[in-house]
Amino acid sequence: MSGTSVILKKELKRVFGDRKLIFSLFIMPALIVIVLYGLMGFMLKSMIDDVEKHESIVAVVNAPEGFKELASLTGYDQTADITYLTEDEFKAVEDIYRNDILEGNGDLAVIFDADFDAVVANFKNVGDAIPNVKIWRNSSEDYSSEAYSVFNKLMLETYKDQLIANRIGSLEMLNVFNESSENIVKEAKANTQFVSMMLPYLIVLLLFAGAMSVGVDAIAGEKERGTLASMLITPVKRIEIVMGKLLSLCILSGLSAIVHCVSMVVAMGFMGGIMGEVGESGFGNISISVLSALELLAIMLAMVYLFVSLIGTLCIYAKDTKIAGTYISPFYIVVIVAGMMTMFTTGKEVPMSKYLIPVYGNALAIKDICANELTGGNFLACMSGTLLLAIICTVAMVKAFNSEKVMFNA
Amino acid sequence: MITINNLTKIYKLNKKKMMELKTTDTQKVAVNGVSLSTKEGEIFGLLGPNGAGKTTTLRCVATLLSPTEGNITVCGHDTIKEGEKVRDNICFLTNEIKLDPHFSPDYMFNFFGQLHGMSKDEIEKRKEELFTTFGINEFKDKKIEDLSTGMKQKTAIAVSLVHNPKVVIFDEPTSGLDIVTARSVTDYLLKLRNEGKTVIISTHIMSEAEKLCDRIAIIIGGKKVCEGTLDEILEETKGFDLEDAFFKLYSEHGTDF
Repeated sequence: MSGTSVILKKELKRVFGDRKLIFSLFIMPALIVIVLYGLMGFMLKSMIDDVEKHESIVAVVNAPEGFKELASLTGYDQTADITYLTEDEFKAVEDIYRNDILEGNGDLAVIFDADFDAVVANFKNVGDAIPNVKIWRNSSEDYSSEAYSVFNKLMLETYKDQLIANRIGSLEMLNVFNESSENIVKEAKANTQFVSMMLPYLIVLLLFAGAMSVGVDAIAGEKERGTLASMLITPVKRIEIVMGKLLSLCILSGLSAIVHCVSMVVAMGFMGGIMGEVGESGFGNISISVLSALELLAIMLAMVYLFVSLIGTLCIYAKDTKIAGTYISPFYIVVIVAGMMTMFTTGKEVPMSKYLIPVYGNALAIKDICANELTGGNFLACMSGTLLLAIICTVAMVKAFNSEKVMFNA
Repeated sequence: MITINNLTKIYKLNKKKMMELKTTDTQKVAVNGVSLSTKEGEIFGLLGPNGAGKTTTLRCVATLLSPTEGNITVCGHDTIKEGEKVRDNICFLTNEIKLDPHFSPDYMFNFFGQLHGMSKDEIEKRKEELFTTFGINEFKDKKIEDLSTGMKQKTAIAVSLVHNPKVVIFDEPTSGLDIVTARSVTDYLLKLRNEGKTVIISTHIMSEAEKLCDRIAIIIGGKKVCEGTLDEILEETKGFDLEDAFFKLYSEHGTDF
């Protein structure tokens, strides 16, 4: 197979001998991913910080007895700019307040019934009147939504508890049982929940994108330029040419995918770090055993081989790179869908037969690896399905290389 | 060296091609029962108008296409059964087959030398000889995409000859070249003939065929209508030069197809 190694070397030199190609294939996508995700994380964090730091502008109308004391006690008056108004005062500025909330200049208006205290005090039996608290808020404004959430939790709920306690003597009267819960969880799975949901999808997607970025030009591009035919008039067997092309594409797209994956994981960690929720949101670093790492590597290599042979086969049937693109597009969509499907699987045990489905089975297996749950049987099923399809594609590619109709449009 | 025996090549036409060719036929006979043979140390010319079947014939000789009927042997090897041995003995140069523009002439020469199973020393020795002959040393490290048409053609010829083949097949070797480069190519073809190589070219430039070819076959509509030396063809057709002879044959056979 000396022809294979000669072609392999040429294909690798084509990429690694060109600084622009190295930059565009490996460095630029990694930088884009890291910068993009970093920027997203930074902006998200800034937005959250800004909302949290914002001093809510709140109007309280007909504040009942003890409400001001409660605001002071809970510290709410330190985080919000509260204006207390009487019924008459509010009626005079009602439209202004409404408009302010609508335009985002005010955050909240809490309107207690004028006789709130009296109605509360007069409640004796079930069916007696209870007072009303009307709250004006704007759910499309972050400041208003946050103000509503904080007011509800810090003030309204506490005040309600206080009134209930006053009415029945003690809140303890409402407590009929104690609740204690224990979170029995695999730490690795819990810490990497988000990453393990996203990673299979991203790996599948990036491996396909990597294979596509190098495969189209190497096969359809060469066919279009007439440079592929120059190899066909040498004594090298067609299968050697195919293997040389496939091997080089596997190496290049594998490297491209690894760069993408690493940058993606770094970016997500970076994003998680910026957001300050590492370990809670599932942005934590994945920790897997050596065996799992080898399984992951094997699955990724099998997928690279599948994608490269599939794209190679489609490209050889295409007259030029544009047509190759149209042939590949439907498969790209299938790959995206298969990857996404694993994002929404539940904890229910997945049957082994599903691991046999190329791409989908790979994504399932990667998800399992992230959670340290991949069984030997599922691993073998996943590898078998993928390699079988890859071999079929390779045979089809060799056949296409041997077909004068395909190669020379004869 | 080359024996073509009753070569017929039929292409199947799909609907798109049938529409392009404005025909209801589901197949097209590109070459129809062509037989000819070439000897060592001669330049054999295939002459004919566009679409006559010259390139298809040469592609069949170069093992790129399989004959629908008939057979071809090159240096005693059958093009179908022993394709690799045939390809080891020939070079095939056509405008449709190009060198990778991202590499230098030097790299491409080494690459094709390796594909022909040559050692480093053999490649270097051959490179020295051919690069000097074609004046490629001046631009051997430049990317092919940055070279002029003439430089590219010289490089393509040198690379195709890397393995010192016994049979040289050039499809319209001077097409698109300036007069200086065209002359250097034709001079080299004469040199190859003098070295005892078999050279087979296709062309529709009559003056080139008159000057270069020891024997000529004229193909019209996929059929060989005449074969022989220039004198034999002129005598047979009563033409005063090759162009005149060609048009006499074309008026006789061209409308038949």
